[in-house]
Amino acid sequence: MSDPIKIRATVKGSDGEVRVLLPHPMESGQRRDGAGLAVPAHFITSVTLSINGRPVIEGGLGTAVSANPLFGFQFAGVKAGDKVAIAWLGNKGQRGYAEALFAAG
Amino acid sequence: MGSRRHFLQAFGSAGVLAGLVGSGLLRPGQALAVDFNRAAFDARSATDALRLIGAAGAEASTDIILKAPEIAENGAAVPIEVISNIPGTTRLSVLVDKNPFPLALQFNFAPPAAPRFQARLKMGESSRLRIVASAGGRHYTVFREIKVTVGGCGQ
Repeated sequence: MSDPIKIRATVKGSDGEVRVLLPHPMESGQRRDGAGLAVPAHFITSVTLSINGRPVIEGGLGTAVSANPLFGFQFAGVKAGDKVAIAWLGNKGQRGYAEALFAAG
Repeated sequence: MGSRRHFLQAFGSAGVLAGLVGSGLLRPGQALAVDFNRAAFDARSATDALRLIGAAGAEASTDIILKAPEIAENGAAVPIEVISNIPGTTRLSVLVDKNPFPLALQFNFAPPAAPRFQARLKMGESSRLRIVASAGGRHYTVFREIKVTVGGCGQ
């Protein structure tokens, strides 16, 4: 959890693009450590992306999403200065949050 | 939170949540309760997962664009892009048939978000990659066979 969430939000005309990187091990629960012991599942189960405080994308994740999930999204009808926020929830109850503003790209 | 709610109902409750945020009962940054059937993510076969997401009868569609490598060198991170050109698409679901838990990912979309995304998936072995687009209570699907050179199951 040490690395911060990275958000890149750019807008051209009224078309927006958001790329978000969520630093997280996304342990599947299928892996064994050096001693042969199963590594418990530890993964993000849900994400919510909001624009100006209104949720517009909700995601449900399974263990097959790669470590350090990287997602790209597209929006129609946004403008520079609009706020994009992403919140996530993990299977162990942990959570993360970050926000950024759309910038002309 | 454990109950299944529909996305639009979740949107309806957003105002209530906003009120809670305003009252200080909820801090910004707390994730909203997201409406997905977690049992579907625990399903061990694609057939069961499709049934649990209500898409067992999904019909094939050429209006879903799936971009994925034909041969994935690294099964730990297979990049995919999905674009639905089906009007009114509100949900996209991704399944990897041969993974231990085939349902990998689901996204709900509401304007101004377009029903499309890019993501990276783990694939334990060569498998069918299956997308389901849900629009107006109907389900549409497209699939592709992906060859995986080095499996990402232990990742």
